[in-house]
Amino acid sequence: MSDINAGIAANAGYIPTEADFQFKNKGKVLGNDENFAGQSYWREVVIRFFKKKSAVVGMIFIILIAVFAIAGPGMNKYTYEEQNLAQKNLAPRIPGLEKLGIFNGNESMNTTSGSKTVNSYKDKGFTKVYYWFGSDNFGRDIWTRTWSGARVSLIIAVAATVIDMLIGLTYGLISGYFGGKVDMVMQRILEVANGIPRLVIVTLLLLVLKPGMITIVFALMLTEWIGMSRIARAEMLKLKEQEYVLASKTLGASNMHIIFREILPNIIGPVITQVMFSIPTAIFTEAFLSFVGLGIPVPQCSLGSLISDGFNSFTTHPYQIVPPVIVMALLMLSFNLVADGLREALDPKLKEM
Amino acid sequence: MKKYLLKRVLTSIFTLLVILLVLFILMQLMPGSPFNDEKLTADQKAALYAKYGLDQPVIIQFFRYVANMLRGDFGVSYNISKNTPISQLIATRLPISIYIGFMAVLVGAVIGLLLGLLAAFKHDTIWDTIATIISVIGVSVPSYVFALALSYQFGFKLRWFPILFSQQQMFQSSVLPSISLSMFTMASIARFTRSEMLEVLGSDYMLLAESKGLSGKTLIFRHALRNALIPIITVLAPLIVDLMTGSLVVEKIFAIPGVGSLLVTAIQSNDYNVVIALSFIYSAMYIGIMLVVDILYGIIDPRIRLAKEGS
Repeated sequence: MSDINAGIAANAGYIPTEADFQFKNKGKVLGNDENFAGQSYWREVVIRFFKKKSAVVGMIFIILIAVFAIAGPGMNKYTYEEQNLAQKNLAPRIPGLEKLGIFNGNESMNTTSGSKTVNSYKDKGFTKVYYWFGSDNFGRDIWTRTWSGARVSLIIAVAATVIDMLIGLTYGLISGYFGGKVDMVMQRILEVANGIPRLVIVTLLLLVLKPGMITIVFALMLTEWIGMSRIARAEMLKLKEQEYVLASKTLGASNMHIIFREILPNIIGPVITQVMFSIPTAIFTEAFLSFVGLGIPVPQCSLGSLISDGFNSFTTHPYQIVPPVIVMALLMLSFNLVADGLREALDPKLKEM
Repeated sequence: MKKYLLKRVLTSIFTLLVILLVLFILMQLMPGSPFNDEKLTADQKAALYAKYGLDQPVIIQFFRYVANMLRGDFGVSYNISKNTPISQLIATRLPISIYIGFMAVLVGAVIGLLLGLLAAFKHDTIWDTIATIISVIGVSVPSYVFALALSYQFGFKLRWFPILFSQQQMFQSSVLPSISLSMFTMASIARFTRSEMLEVLGSDYMLLAESKGLSGKTLIFRHALRNALIPIITVLAPLIVDLMTGSLVVEKIFAIPGVGSLLVTAIQSNDYNVVIALSFIYSAMYIGIMLVVDILYGIIDPRIRLAKEGS
């Protein structure tokens, strides 16, 4: 200490100039590490994410599906519940494209004497009628219904995210942070909850509540949080002994401040990844429930119930099942691809497939 | 090891009891009583209640209920087939579901393993890419989409396999359901095997084994494969659960008379007893599988055992 004081005293009259703060070997040769210092963590994440083509493709598809889910049902004059029995089972027909020989309302019918091509639009005289994805067994427009169904799936995706964030994250963080008896009890509860199959929870709920959106969200609430709370707890255990937590504690920060303001921002990477991975599971749960007829009640529709409807006539009118199946598969695939991409972007050490 | 085993068994039993309690409470909350005949007088009802022990305190009723459930006495069905014992209903259906589930796990595990190994050994080649694409599709596309596609192509168009399940042609008609059910298992195992294998192949002990001059065969089978396979057991347990949910849908598509389709019918027709019995069976199977997997895992990999005992 005394040496430094002596040094300061000796230089008392000296006023530093700009030149004192330059690197000695000026210029690029030594330079500070611009590559790394110049970029924030998030900018790198974005760059890494966009480098992965599959993730970008997935994101584009999610955005496209979301846009159509919002705007699609309003793009023609039909509504999802409007029935027109005179115009049932019409094949897809799109103005413009019909001149190219596709989407012209033709469908091949299998009969005992072989297959033949029929055009119900011409046969029944609906020359001005266009069903872009065809019409179903009750004469409802499949285009409108598909996108309304996609809307349901996306709402479920949002619900799953919120549940993950609110319940799973909080549970895991608190359990990991307080440790000891609190952790003991919370982990035993989690073990029991995890020991009950999801299917059983959902079926029992359906006994008590009416099938519908609220029941499905409630079922997700009871099952979806477990994975996230595990991740949050593990990350919390890793971080809570760090110096900055100790520093914050010493400064008198409350537990809630430390959990949510100090630690949470540092574990956001794994949290986002986990959310993205839980979305496809949630969408799948809803679609599966609707498929077996326990989900969204009619006349509302979801992709699952549309697939189920189309399934009943998929040997005679295969076009009815194609749109919901493709949207469903694309949606699940895209969320998985984006989740994979995000995981790699957020944690470059983890180079899995 | 003993302590770990005991802890796991106790947790499992406790979980099962919690489930039974929930089921019991649900039964109590359900409207109606078992004796709904309007001709019964109050005295007759009281006699019936006494006969079946329904006049006893709730606690005693609960333990009686637990004993009955564990013995496989689930009561009778109300709606689906009136007054048939549920154990009888389930007994004919459960083997079919288990058969198809077992086939699906077998197909999924074997093909998934091969696919994962292929991807790991031919890392960064076209094979790797193909395996990756297959497994991403397998994980993300729901099993019923596969079921529909397969039954359309191979059942309806090509007529190689029957579209609907029939007990006379057990094997042929279970091919398509098993394959569509196995897709998710296959894809998950392929993904997992690949990443595990890559990690093992890049590890120090593999380098040591190689520098000792071991032949390729010993290297792969004695050292790499054994270490890579251990963690794969853990993913099997959650996959079996997915098979349960998947089976509901696949059983509907192929009209298989299994427990999955029974559950769906039971929920739709409000047959509480059947739903509760099936929930119990599903839970018991699930808990049992998880327990076996955990114990197996502890036996195979001493590191896990020690780590769990330490904590």
